[in-house]
Amino acid sequence: MGIVSETSTFTKILRPVLAWSVGILFFFPIFWMVLTSFKTDADAVKPEFLFFFTPTLENYLNMTENYDYWRFAQNSVITSVFATAGALAVAIPCAYAMAFNPSRATKDVLMWMLSTKMLPAAAVLYPMTFLTKSLGLFDTHFMVIIVLMLINLPIVVWMLFTYFKEIPREIIEAGQMDGVTTWGEIREILIPLAWGGIASTALLCFIFCWNEAYWTVRLTTTDAATLSKLIEGNRAPEGLFFGRLSAVSAAAVGPIVVLGWFCQKQLVQGLTFGAVK
Amino acid sequence: MARIVLEKVTKTFGTAEVIPPLDLTIEDGEFTVFVGPSGCGKSTLLRLIAGLEETTSGRVLIDGGDVTEVSPSKRGLAMVFQTYALYPHMTVRKNIAFPMRMAGLSQAEQDQRVEVAAESLNLTDYLDRKPAQLSGGQRQRVAIGRAIVRDPSAFLFDEPLSNLDAALRVGMRVEITEMHARMKTTMIYVTHDQVEAMTMADRIVVLRAGVIEQVGTPLELYRTPRNTFVAGFIGSPKMNLLEGSEARKHGAHTLGIRPEHIDVVDSGGLWSGTVGVAEHLGSDTFFHVHDTGLTEKLMVRAVGDVALRHGDKIHLNPRTHELHRFDAAGLRMP
Amino acid sequence: MSDRRLPRLLQTPAVVLLLIWMIVPLSMTLFFSFIRYVLNSLRRPEWTEPSLSNWRGFGNYNYVLNNNDFLLAVQNSLLIVCSIVLLTVILGVLIAVLINKAFPGRSIVRVLLISPFFVMPAVNAVLWINMILDPVLGLQGLAVEGLNGTLQNLRAAPGIGWFFSLWPELQPISFRATQTSAYAVIIMVTWQWTPFAVLIFMTSLQSEDQQQKEAAVLDGAGVWSQFRFLTLPHLSRPIAIVVMIQAIFHLSLYAEIEIVSRGNGNKNLPYLIGEFANNNIGAASATGIFAVILANIIAIFLLRMIGKTLME
Repeated sequence: MGIVSETSTFTKILRPVLAWSVGILFFFPIFWMVLTSFKTDADAVKPEFLFFFTPTLENYLNMTENYDYWRFAQNSVITSVFATAGALAVAIPCAYAMAFNPSRATKDVLMWMLSTKMLPAAAVLYPMTFLTKSLGLFDTHFMVIIVLMLINLPIVVWMLFTYFKEIPREIIEAGQMDGVTTWGEIREILIPLAWGGIASTALLCFIFCWNEAYWTVRLTTTDAATLSKLIEGNRAPEGLFFGRLSAVSAAAVGPIVVLGWFCQKQLVQGLTFGAVK
Repeated sequence: MARIVLEKVTKTFGTAEVIPPLDLTIEDGEFTVFVGPSGCGKSTLLRLIAGLEETTSGRVLIDGGDVTEVSPSKRGLAMVFQTYALYPHMTVRKNIAFPMRMAGLSQAEQDQRVEVAAESLNLTDYLDRKPAQLSGGQRQRVAIGRAIVRDPSAFLFDEPLSNLDAALRVGMRVEITEMHARMKTTMIYVTHDQVEAMTMADRIVVLRAGVIEQVGTPLELYRTPRNTFVAGFIGSPKMNLLEGSEARKHGAHTLGIRPEHIDVVDSGGLWSGTVGVAEHLGSDTFFHVHDTGLTEKLMVRAVGDVALRHGDKIHLNPRTHELHRFDAAGLRMP
Repeated sequence: MSDRRLPRLLQTPAVVLLLIWMIVPLSMTLFFSFIRYVLNSLRRPEWTEPSLSNWRGFGNYNYVLNNNDFLLAVQNSLLIVCSIVLLTVILGVLIAVLINKAFPGRSIVRVLLISPFFVMPAVNAVLWINMILDPVLGLQGLAVEGLNGTLQNLRAAPGIGWFFSLWPELQPISFRATQTSAYAVIIMVTWQWTPFAVLIFMTSLQSEDQQQKEAAVLDGAGVWSQFRFLTLPHLSRPIAIVVMIQAIFHLSLYAEIEIVSRGNGNKNLPYLIGEFANNNIGAASATGIFAVILANIIAIFLLRMIGKTLME
């Protein structure tokens, strides 16, 4: 805007064309999955029906029958919602204390929390299997919730911390002068002020929980199995069920992709721990 | 109404000692200003009194009661912050009522006190707006309103005017001074602006590096600064501090003379020099005088418009009874 | 004083939970890595109990280091991680620069671009390996078949048919084979994570100093010099962060490997650990410790970078 530039062919035509092509190219696999989900299994592998076919809802209508989709979806919702709620419940007080009553150890504690996120999950695979089995928690919602909550806790604390730090310290101090208790401070001042930040943190945490594909696959069999486990279990249809597999896949990722559109900005902050702004 | 006493109060952050042991008494009903350059510990001192910082050692007494370990809200003090610290998600009404709500006052009582405060602060028309919809001056008033309704035993102000533009600042200065005259409540006011200190204070506490350099009424500080730091800090333009032969002539290490205590004369005079920059304000003229043989640049303030320009020769006569003598340690000599 | 201590106390639940989460399983892994511990053994039933009497010292580490699969897995892990990181950074910078300026429909393009990142890894893998990369029924297979069909028709054409009969028929690539499945993983993860790189670089580009650019234009810098001497240095920090975050994430890549290459011998470290964990817990644990060490080397650099900006 500031600079007067000779409007070149590049800026006028080439840039939009290239940009749109890249965008479409990256979206194409998702589009293809959705498209295939409206084909019958037989049509899905026929070259003559690549783009032109008689759409059918059959795959979606039969999701329960074919895959027991709703049971897995229900498990995904339950575990993701409770894990997110749990993570927030633990992280909000923690991030609050770190942002407004920092001590010399605060920085180290934050760093340490982050470092737990960097432990490769596979390294503790057997101990986790062993522990959950001996505690009778293998393949239970409770265990999946706890694990999802713990693996996302560092990111949630970090995101909240960066949001809370943007609240002027003086407002919190004014609250202290005005006689709010610590809980009052969190409830009356912090949460209303950081509402946007808390919401997007929750959203991102929910997305991560939903997409988690190590522990949910390794620590469940049926009762608490999530959509990740469902898809993983149907990994190789060898071309037999492309239609129905596409439908169940689209149903598994659709809501999350749409949610994701709403938290692009927060994603950057959350994944880079505030280091890129 | 409160008498606030600090006894051997210290504050260290890590290894840095911000406040070395400090004693200070603020009398009931007094308007006390803490003034000093930035980083002198004045805000920290205020926050220690408020309870927003913990003292490292020493005691804080309010009306004889030890409040060192008492939480901020239970000290009965109200604070007005530099950034106003209004709750952005609440309306003006809710902001002002907030401390009362926390104290559990009845709704009727809250409403009534908000009305009174809003009335006295000209905020009645803005009660249902959010802070973001207000001007800087209005926000400042809301912050004061929030402090008033608590009926505190003392008000603490932390550089409350520094975010306002110059014209508004003068207006608010007067309002706060009037408020004090009306309420007669103890007030402690922190500023780095010596003009604010001089115009508002009953008593000024000059701080440097956490140490009290002098405590006194504005005119005491002006007339008898205890050392060269206070001498240089209080008064505008700054006092001229001369070292060398002129000082030795008066048996001092440093000789101080305020710009307004040097008269411009047509000829003769004890001192002379060349005019550098001449600042003509109409009511006054400030001369930066060079080549006096006394110091690199001597500030002189003449009343009215004196028609001397850059490069002109200037003759000066210091009022000898207004000279301040300081010893080698910078302390005032009798 | 209780008013002061309460805030500190509020950190305790999070800290304690994470402490348990980190220490308990990890110390178990450490312990198991020093003992003989298998799930089933008819010959040595005493090894099926985790006990100090089965102490093996560094035996498991020795065993793992001398295991061909381990070297293969490390190699493969590094190959996959490095390729993905390289591709995503290059594509990410190019795309970010491309869409950093306004053009019609920019916000829609952004939405299209970011979408792959939110697809769950299991779906990502199933989608690519079946519907896109399958040599017969996937898009790849259909495309190859279509091209070959066209070729057949051309060969039958009168006059010029002989020319086309010189052309060999195309062979579809199977991405499920040991040698090629790593490519499939690289393709699908690159697809998923390039949007992440784009998003971060774009965020960073927004904060690029426009006045500096204007000054450069006045100084006569061309588009390329601006990119080379202003934009790229500006992006160096986000690039470093993208590299390290991805390195950490992709070292633990599991679902994609599991779905694409199960049983064909193509493994990475997490997959190998999973395999060992079916019986030889000692070896699984020793491999786990190696994975921790590898991740920590990268993590240290990352933490340093983030630590710098943390408290400003």
